Amino acid sequence: MDTMSITSTTIIQAKHLRKSYGDVAAVRDLSFTVKAGQVVGLLGPNGAGKTTLVNMLSTLLSIDGGSASVAGYDVATQPDAVRQLIGLAGQSAAIDEKLTARENLELFGRLYKIPRVERQQRIEQLIERFDMTEFADRVAETYSGGQRRRLDVVAALVSNPPALFLDEPTTGLDPRSRAELWAAVEQLASRGTAIVLTTQYLDEADRLADEILIIDRGSVIASGTPESLKRNLERDVLEIHVGIEDLDAACGLIGEVPGLAVDRDAGSIGIPVGEEVDRSLDMLRQLQDGGISILDFQLRRPTLDDVFMSLTGSPATPEEVSA
Amino acid sequence: MTTQNVTDRSVLTELTIPARIRRAAVDTNTVLWRDTIRTLRQPDLLAFSVVMGVFFLVLFNYVFGGSIGAGAGIDYLGFLVPGVLVITALQGAQQTSLGFASDLTEGVTNRFRSLPMSQFAVIAGRTIADAVRNIVGLILVGLLALIMGYRFASVGGAVAAIALATGIGYGFSWLGAAIAAKVRQPDMVGMLSMFWLFPLMLASTAFAPVETMPGWLQPFVRYQPISVAADAVRGLANGMPAGSDVLLCLAWTAVLLVVFGPMSVRLYGAESQ
Repeated sequence: MDTMSITSTTIIQAKHLRKSYGDVAAVRDLSFTVKAGQVVGLLGPNGAGKTTLVNMLSTLLSIDGGSASVAGYDVATQPDAVRQLIGLAGQSAAIDEKLTARENLELFGRLYKIPRVERQQRIEQLIERFDMTEFADRVAETYSGGQRRRLDVVAALVSNPPALFLDEPTTGLDPRSRAELWAAVEQLASRGTAIVLTTQYLDEADRLADEILIIDRGSVIASGTPESLKRNLERDVLEIHVGIEDLDAACGLIGEVPGLAVDRDAGSIGIPVGEEVDRSLDMLRQLQDGGISILDFQLRRPTLDDVFMSLTGSPATPEEVSA
Repeated sequence: MTTQNVTDRSVLTELTIPARIRRAAVDTNTVLWRDTIRTLRQPDLLAFSVVMGVFFLVLFNYVFGGSIGAGAGIDYLGFLVPGVLVITALQGAQQTSLGFASDLTEGVTNRFRSLPMSQFAVIAGRTIADAVRNIVGLILVGLLALIMGYRFASVGGAVAAIALATGIGYGFSWLGAAIAAKVRQPDMVGMLSMFWLFPLMLASTAFAPVETMPGWLQPFVRYQPISVAADAVRGLANGMPAGSDVLLCLAWTAVLLVVFGPMSVRLYGAESQ
């Protein structure tokens, strides 16, 4: 089968996807592919269209325009086949609060028609692998946020799907639960699962994604590896730490620089300097000659925060973009 | 390894119709298992559906029983108990509506929709689980009636009466599911059920004979499903001829299933946004 050999590496494919609610375009012309073992991060603020996109790819929403496939099966015309191949977790799906973790997994395993013996083995493996033994037989409504989210993700893994959609899986999680979930995602990718991960967190996309699509108002405004996105910004940042009392004087000496960031609480100044080393040295010498005592300095690569800021003109932290 | 994953899956073509029916049966059984566990963990729901019956039985018998019974010249408890059985079954239908609406808001149905399963089974399993709970509720209300001095004409009559009440309740469960699938908000569903449940319940022969009602209302009261069910259940429970009422009641049940079965599945499948 020719088609099989082509699709054996590309698992998820979206071509020119579109979705509108009335006059509002939620997703406009989105295209991307995810290969086996790859994590593609969809990064954007609330309302950017991430969940709509995931819901279209996972057959929950109809597709207005364009097409999508999972392992070669068309999402619109072969939904039953696609549903056998995907797992869905996060905002878009949930677990049964009145059942225990074991019962939830049994429920979804039965609905996937996994034969009994295989199903039970698999459930035991998952409970052990994701460290759920302690609460596996307690009703889910008693779980902490982290335990609930872990069950939610594990529920998407019962059928060992080659394609996994994680819709903001760590929103609202404490740092420890987040780290555990990150480790789980990395483990799944290393075993060959194709993963689409939506997130509002830059550090999460930076850490997990092999490729990032930055989405704003339903379209991709930038894409690439985390490294290339940061590199394309082409401006290293010189971060200078001076005393708080010297801050105003230092700013006066530096003058007008586009993209200058002053942190008054920390007493530090971030100056975009490009890749010219001379410019950084000039800047430091200028401050020293002006009588400013420099406590510390470093030249750092831009973070995804800087990327997002420069592309959308607003920071991507969820608190500030809760529209 | 992933290639293996993909090609190993056996049923990747769209299903034939017999395969779909088989899958619907298997999935209904699975959802029934799930909803039965939920029922057992929420005994308050059973209590809630019984409480209404108990309330009506006690209130109507001891408060209004004298005047209605004397006015119509009948043994009022014998008239009331079968009516209350039908009302109790109707409460079960309302709980289908509330339970399904809360499923829809909790997002577990979104996971169901992403699974390779029959979506019909999501509602079928729930309505069957609610019907089973209904039977338990009906038996409890029947026991209370016995304590209050009511006597079924025969054991067979009692069983047939409870079966018929469960049947009409099951038909109304699909109406409840359709409302839930359309409205999707438990609060709103609770409010709406007042609009269809109470008029049907009170303007019926469940609590009072049709002759005691105003003439213009009588045609509606006589043939609406709750009255038909109450009359049929009354005939069976009290050992009186009830053939035509029973047939009419079964016909109403069938109408409810035929209309609201496909409708609720379609509404459930429709996109929520």
